[in-house]
Amino acid sequence: MDTIQFRRVLPHVFAGREDTGSEIWLREVNLQRGKRYLVDAQSGTGKSSMCSYIFGYRVDYSGTIAFDDVDTRQLSVARWCDIRQRHIAYLPQEMRLFPELTVLENINLKNRLTNHKTASQIADLLQCLGVEDKANSLVAHLSIGQQQRVAFVRTLCQPAEFYLLDEPVSHLDNENNSLIARLVSQEADALGAAIIVTSVGNHLNLNYDLTLKM
Amino acid sequence: MIWKLLRKHVSVTQLAGFALANIVGLTIVMLAVQMATDIRPVIEDEDSFLRRDYIVITRSVTTTGALMGSPTDFSAADVADIEAQPWCGRVGQFSASEFGVEATVGLGGSGHAMRTQFFFEAIPTDFIDVNSADWTFNPNRPEVPVIISRDYLSLYNFGFATTQGLPRISEGQMEMIPLQFTLSGNGLRETLNGRIVGFSTRLNTVIVPQDFMTWANNRYGDGNTQRPQRLIIESTSPGDVAIDQYMESHNYDVAGDKTNSSRAGHLLTVATGVVVAVGAVISLLAFFVLMLSIYLLLQKNVRKLQTLLLLGYSPAEVSAPYVKIVAGVNLAALVIAFAAVIAIRAWYMPTLRALGVDGGTITTALLCGIVIMTAISAGNIFAIRRRVAALWHG
Repeated sequence: MDTIQFRRVLPHVFAGREDTGSEIWLREVNLQRGKRYLVDAQSGTGKSSMCSYIFGYRVDYSGTIAFDDVDTRQLSVARWCDIRQRHIAYLPQEMRLFPELTVLENINLKNRLTNHKTASQIADLLQCLGVEDKANSLVAHLSIGQQQRVAFVRTLCQPAEFYLLDEPVSHLDNENNSLIARLVSQEADALGAAIIVTSVGNHLNLNYDLTLKM
Repeated sequence: MIWKLLRKHVSVTQLAGFALANIVGLTIVMLAVQMATDIRPVIEDEDSFLRRDYIVITRSVTTTGALMGSPTDFSAADVADIEAQPWCGRVGQFSASEFGVEATVGLGGSGHAMRTQFFFEAIPTDFIDVNSADWTFNPNRPEVPVIISRDYLSLYNFGFATTQGLPRISEGQMEMIPLQFTLSGNGLRETLNGRIVGFSTRLNTVIVPQDFMTWANNRYGDGNTQRPQRLIIESTSPGDVAIDQYMESHNYDVAGDKTNSSRAGHLLTVATGVVVAVGAVISLLAFFVLMLSIYLLLQKNVRKLQTLLLLGYSPAEVSAPYVKIVAGVNLAALVIAFAAVIAIRAWYMPTLRALGVDGGTITTALLCGIVIMTAISAGNIFAIRRRVAALWHG
């Protein structure tokens, strides 16, 4: 997958508006593989909706989102499963970890689908982010910041052409922000993948090719 | 790991309630089918060697008739008249033995033997539906195959054996008991081995192969051939009212009249139908209980299921734990219900065996159970899949 295309996309909730002032809604936007994008948004402008639309679990919009010119509404369930396992790595803003499982169990729940990382690579990532001692703790017992780092490690446990990170550092300090930026850049460079980051203020510290105002 | 995640809200009580309801419903259905299969032969007295459209007739014996010396046999004119009826296909005549017969029954290793005066009758072989290898007679290796009336066995089991404290015997055992026939006449007295090849409800006599009868009548008989006492008629329109009317007007008795037994058979069908319906309703309710239980479970786990889908798990993988629960519980219910049917059957079968019935196959009931269970499981699994698929778009 090389391009994610937005063709005059507008969430139903904004229906009727001629000009939203957004550089994404109602515009023609092509997100290219290999590039770095920042979607800079105000709260309530629909950035999480945009991520849901790209990831195919919400379709409450008009216009078209296409992967390499294929309308995503036409994709089969099996194709979506493949996309979620091998083509788009998504870190949701609400993280969607299972609090009743341990850190490692949460990560392995993803990694056993993709076999993308070895156990030692996962351990290295956790260590790099300073949560290696939490590997066997229940996620419920972690702070929000720790959960964000665990969710990020889980996101890296799959091959991807696009990394889609919805406010990945909203609960992290500057040091962890830079660590995450470095790790995701390394992965993206190795795979030739794009990084799409949304933010309402605390930007991930990357050199962006393009910033889109939402 | 998915199981670990999703099992949290699984209610053992609800599943047990479902399983119990399902076991009860399924047991009722299977037991009804099983009992109907087992009991039907008692009521309908199916004869394996006589087709249903064959009618065996005798003349009615009445007190005045006996005193007046009315004939009890059929003349050639009688036979010709029957053959001329529109419902009549073929007519076969019973031929009787024209010599003396004594039967000796050895009672196992006890050394005791029963001896009785006996008689034989024969009908043309093409009226008898029996394995031809069993139903032949070879003068060089004389052994006499016989078909006897099932009434004789009942008479022994329920009359003689019960009052004399002797063991009851089944048809299978009876067929293994050594029999000897001593035939006498024409100055000869010879003993041949005999063998029971079957029991008949509709032939109220002792039947031997026609070729044996011809051979024996030639050898021991006095050449004084009697007229037939019974006729066997192949009817071209079984159940025709004209047959009953004809028999009645000519004072002929139809052996093993099916009227009563067909009423009982009908009642059995209706009773079985009602019981099966009750069982089916219970099974159906159980189906909805499980459905409800699974829906609640899915509802409680909606967010987890959606997250698994977002991680890239397919709806089939996400449904799998629920499908396994349903399949497991249903399979267990089937096994337990089937075991219950076998246990209950073991309890009532001795009574049936005493009636000389070996019971039907258990395949029908099992098949019934499997079909119902498969249908219920398929319904459950389809509903689960649909519910999970509905989660696909938030």
